[in-house]
Amino acid sequence: MKLWVTGLNHRTAPVSVRERLAFSSVDLTQGLEELKNTPGIVEGMILSTCNRVEVAITAEDDINPHQALEIFLSTAKALDSRDLHQYLYGFEGREAIRHIFRVAASLDSMIVGEPQILGQLKSAYSLAKEHGAVTGLLDTVVMRAFGVAKRVRTETDIGVSAVSISYAAVELAREIFGSLKNQRVMLIGAGKMSELAARHLLRSGVQQILVTNRTDSRARELADRVRGTIVPYDQFRGRLKDVDIVLTSSGSPDHILTKEAMRRIVASRKNRPMFLIDIAVPRNIEPTVNELDNVFLYDIDDLQRIVDENLKGRMDQAAEADKIVAEEVERLESWMRTRHVGPLIVSLQEHLEQIRLAEIERVKGKLGGLTSQQEQAIEMLTRGIVNKIAHGPISQLRKHAGADNGPAVLDAIRNIFRLEE
Amino acid sequence: MQEMSVFWLRAAVALYAVGLFHTIQIALRRGASLFRPALIAFSIAIVLHMVALVEAGRLARHFPPGGFHNSVSLSAFILGVLFLLVYWRYRFDSLAVFLFPMIFVMTGVAALQGPAPHWTSSGSRSAWLVFHIILVLLGYAALILTALASVFYLIQERQLKRKKPMALLEKLPPLGTLDNLISQSLGFGFVLLTVGVVTGGAWAYIDTGSDWISDPRVTVAIANWLFCLLMVFLRIAAGWRGRKAAAMAVTIVAFSAASWAFHYVRQ
Repeated sequence: MKLWVTGLNHRTAPVSVRERLAFSSVDLTQGLEELKNTPGIVEGMILSTCNRVEVAITAEDDINPHQALEIFLSTAKALDSRDLHQYLYGFEGREAIRHIFRVAASLDSMIVGEPQILGQLKSAYSLAKEHGAVTGLLDTVVMRAFGVAKRVRTETDIGVSAVSISYAAVELAREIFGSLKNQRVMLIGAGKMSELAARHLLRSGVQQILVTNRTDSRARELADRVRGTIVPYDQFRGRLKDVDIVLTSSGSPDHILTKEAMRRIVASRKNRPMFLIDIAVPRNIEPTVNELDNVFLYDIDDLQRIVDENLKGRMDQAAEADKIVAEEVERLESWMRTRHVGPLIVSLQEHLEQIRLAEIERVKGKLGGLTSQQEQAIEMLTRGIVNKIAHGPISQLRKHAGADNGPAVLDAIRNIFRLEE
Repeated sequence: MQEMSVFWLRAAVALYAVGLFHTIQIALRRGASLFRPALIAFSIAIVLHMVALVEAGRLARHFPPGGFHNSVSLSAFILGVLFLLVYWRYRFDSLAVFLFPMIFVMTGVAALQGPAPHWTSSGSRSAWLVFHIILVLLGYAALILTALASVFYLIQERQLKRKKPMALLEKLPPLGTLDNLISQSLGFGFVLLTVGVVTGGAWAYIDTGSDWISDPRVTVAIANWLFCLLMVFLRIAAGWRGRKAAAMAVTIVAFSAASWAFHYVRQ
């Protein structure tokens, strides 16, 4: 029995190929049934996301799993297997385990450390489980992969820092205000990035979003999308004292907020802090505004610098995470190597015990009536002999179970004692 | 009769206490505003205070009456009248946050004159002293917490202003959390120190008569309390928060520590 993973991802295949190979929820159900019915394939699971399509299986030793999966994928998606071949990778045994662990821990993702992949893997596993497509070794490997992902999240800071500009802005807002529940936001301009940041802020539970733009229709569209309230462009300055977070992305060639104006606004709100995010180019807010107490101004370059640093930090953390993955692969392999030894030891002990009891029974008649003390002595004697005989093979089994010659030792002991599989 | 003058003065102190509660309530950010009832009580107290001063002047046969207690009483009265005039003209109610407690304490000091009551037992004397010491120590602990939170605030604010990556920022609480902690610990510190100063003054008055006011420990304690009151006032009325408030908290705790150290080195 072997474990195998075949698939493609954002590094090996362009989006034009990935989109053709993607499995919808209906396709997944059909695919799992087909996998189950493919001769030689014992278990199967399909993971399909926008960045990867992978099939993990356990298969009989006598089939070529990569070839079988190439045929499976090309048939399922009506593609020529020769076209598909160049984009596919395959991992066997130890490498397959390592790959599944790395995928679960988001070390193989386009944005290393992103959390969605674990959820997607869990869904793929649930569906496969539901269809009875994972029942043995693959089940164990995937379940262990969830544990590895959790360990990586707990023991490293891989997913801690923001790696997109809009999310970095939200993280900064949290560093300033703590909870965003009672904060008010104003979007000046209807830029795409402002909208993204506003969506993040909305998810973080901000109290209100005000939207203003030179063009009313665009303000209205944006307000609809972010569940905001429109403020006429000529009145937004008067409302600034009531907002805590300001996102500017207007196309104005001049500064729409100056240091003097902000000084007055902050004073009128009794110095409660304000976070200004200026993602417009040219900038909408005079840079010297950041010199004012209780005002924090970040422009697009400041946010990009933070994102770059965070990405670099994630790569450092990924190296640490890979060490955890290697450790976990080793642990799982060791468990897999030794998992057959336990039943064999039990079987050997039972076999010897049967012989002992049978022999006592056989000689009891010849010895005639025995006192209880004599019976006890015979019991102790025979038990001692059996334990001493069993000690050697059991020690050897434990010693060699994880080694390369482990299977040979197991077979030898099984044959010597005539134990059944 | 001096007793009558002190009686009216003590009645005024009781009414000024409502103003003190108003400040405490604002410092702790709890419940609905007490300003209206405090202002009414304060106005009545000013009248009683005037009666006490007239009585004291009549006894001394000249006005203003002399002596430390009467001078403090007169200063508190003038401050109170000025506050009412300013409030009537400008509606500057934030000033009350500072002046109400200050006038309460000044009048309280002035009222601790005349024949002092005696301890009913040595047990009650020690219990009162222990209570006072615990309050003052808790008050200073709260102020030290305020200063520590302020130091973290200054570090965090500096990081945010310098736009450093978030690695270090994440190890410190958000500015908003630190600001809340500063507000809360300052509020509790102020309340504890206020009660501590009042109980300490009353204890010393009963124990030593009028000599207590010349004790340098009392001077240092009242000075520290006044700085604490100033900090509460600037935070609430002038909206001092962030860097200024944090720097002030650190300065006040440093001043307090230095003044106590100086006092004990001299002893």
